[in-house]
Amino acid sequence: MKKLNKRSNPAFFLLILLPALLVILFLTLYPVINTIVLAFYKYNYLSDEIKFIGLKNFFTIGSDTVFQTAFLNTLTFAAVATVVEVGLGIFLALMFYGDFRGKRPFMITVIFPMMVSTMVISAVWKVLYHYDIGLFNNILRSMNLEPVGWLIDQSKALFSIILVDIWQWTPFAFLIMQAGLNSIPNEIFESSSIDGAGYFRNLRSITLPILSSQILLVIMLRTIDTFRIFGKVYALTQGGPGNSTETVSYFIYREGFSFFNLGRASAAALYVLIAISIIALFYIKGIMKEDM
Amino acid sequence: MTGSVMSRKGLLFWVLMIIVLITVLFPLYWILITALKTPLENILPVPSLFPKKVTLENFFSVMRTGFFKNLFNSLFVAFTSTFFSLVLAFLASYALLRYKFPYKLNVLFLIWVLIVKILPPMVLAIPLYTLFTKVNLINNLWGLILVYQVYTLPYCIWMLFGFMKNLPLEFEQAAEIDGASKLKTLLSIVVPLSSSGIAATAIFSIIIAWDEFLFALLFIRSPSLQTLPLKIVSFITEYETLWGDLMAIGLLATLPVLFFSGYYYKRLTEGFSLGLK
Repeated sequence: MKKLNKRSNPAFFLLILLPALLVILFLTLYPVINTIVLAFYKYNYLSDEIKFIGLKNFFTIGSDTVFQTAFLNTLTFAAVATVVEVGLGIFLALMFYGDFRGKRPFMITVIFPMMVSTMVISAVWKVLYHYDIGLFNNILRSMNLEPVGWLIDQSKALFSIILVDIWQWTPFAFLIMQAGLNSIPNEIFESSSIDGAGYFRNLRSITLPILSSQILLVIMLRTIDTFRIFGKVYALTQGGPGNSTETVSYFIYREGFSFFNLGRASAAALYVLIAISIIALFYIKGIMKEDM
Repeated sequence: MTGSVMSRKGLLFWVLMIIVLITVLFPLYWILITALKTPLENILPVPSLFPKKVTLENFFSVMRTGFFKNLFNSLFVAFTSTFFSLVLAFLASYALLRYKFPYKLNVLFLIWVLIVKILPPMVLAIPLYTLFTKVNLINNLWGLILVYQVYTLPYCIWMLFGFMKNLPLEFEQAAEIDGASKLKTLLSIVVPLSSSGIAATAIFSIIIAWDEFLFALLFIRSPSLQTLPLKIVSFITEYETLWGDLMAIGLLATLPVLFFSGYYYKRLTEGFSLGLK
């Protein structure tokens, strides 16, 4: 990293760093400390009742079946979405490897889903998923099949939301995998074909190992993203039917902003913080190696 | 491109391409035709694949519900929060690049920025909400601009830091020898040199703020202060059958963003770093 010489003026640099530093600390350090403190209190925002109760919030939240469901849903969401997006991403990157006619317009079209606002995407999928007049059920009916309760069937709603996520973010995985593949010299493919290696052996012994850092990146980014997921759930199902699409962010939202149990919401937020910091550890380590 | 890889582009390749394009474009097509159908056609039990009668009725209806006010709110919040983030991020990145602060502050600051990027915003929502209530920043677009720094500031710092890492030091040294003040060097040399990075960062930061939903939902009460994502959600949850209106807003909110797809693709393919997104 290039630095100016020692004559440079420390006060000047501190002064220009300070505004960003203060804004970030104000918006993050204060809330995090506040959350840690509040988690030890029984605090209802409406009745303004506040009482120190030690670790009790952590126990009640930890054993709350709704929170457990929310956590499990979040992990399921992250796992299913990541596996499918990575798999499809690699498949597409292999199929559309190299140059061909119309590649640029094709790729630009393919990334549309990640450009469109999540709320707009949720809206159109809600229309398509509609039980009575949605297109999907209509196709099923015209084929004499039973209509599906995409967003109203407890066993399917979560997967319907995951499907929207897959539609939205597979292009991202595709792009990353393609960038990874482009770093492989074509000769490697060629020499292994001359050796008589089959397509799948190529895939397993050459392509996948080379893509491993890209695969890891997508896994981390998608997992981090799933813990933040809120808008899609809010627009499509509001956590229902039952609690079948409740995710951790949605749980904190309801606990804090519908029931006004700020203590419980804070304890739940801390659980999420702990989970996310484990992922963050790997992520930051990877980035520090690459970018600094 | 030669040999084994090229030879795979047979019929299967083009069929797959068509399948991919249909999958990607179909929901977008559905937004378009739903927006263009009459309200009555939109609630037919058998949805039509092409509008029987094309109408702009939905667009007019949406405009009567205060669409332009919402559009203005979205633009105002997205541009203003990006402006502040860019200024703060530019100054901070420059300081981090050109000065070694004591106590490893440089690295610590960047790690903290990354942590903020990773943090689920919901975790911050409750304390920020109670705090903002006390200082009258709830139901206030300036409050939204301040809280959006949670997203845009770490993003801008990370992106600008990446861009500015590659700036040559020589110009600044020359300016220093000429006796230019630090601030003048910054404005007349470093800013122009980083302009392409600043432009790219600005575009993505605007898109992030444009799409934000969580804090907008929590912090904004009056319909007249709603941003577009809030407006869209109010159509989804409250007026569930006004699908033509919903899709008309969706279309209007989407078009300006799609416009940047080409640019986005270019940036993404230019260099993939872990920090992106």
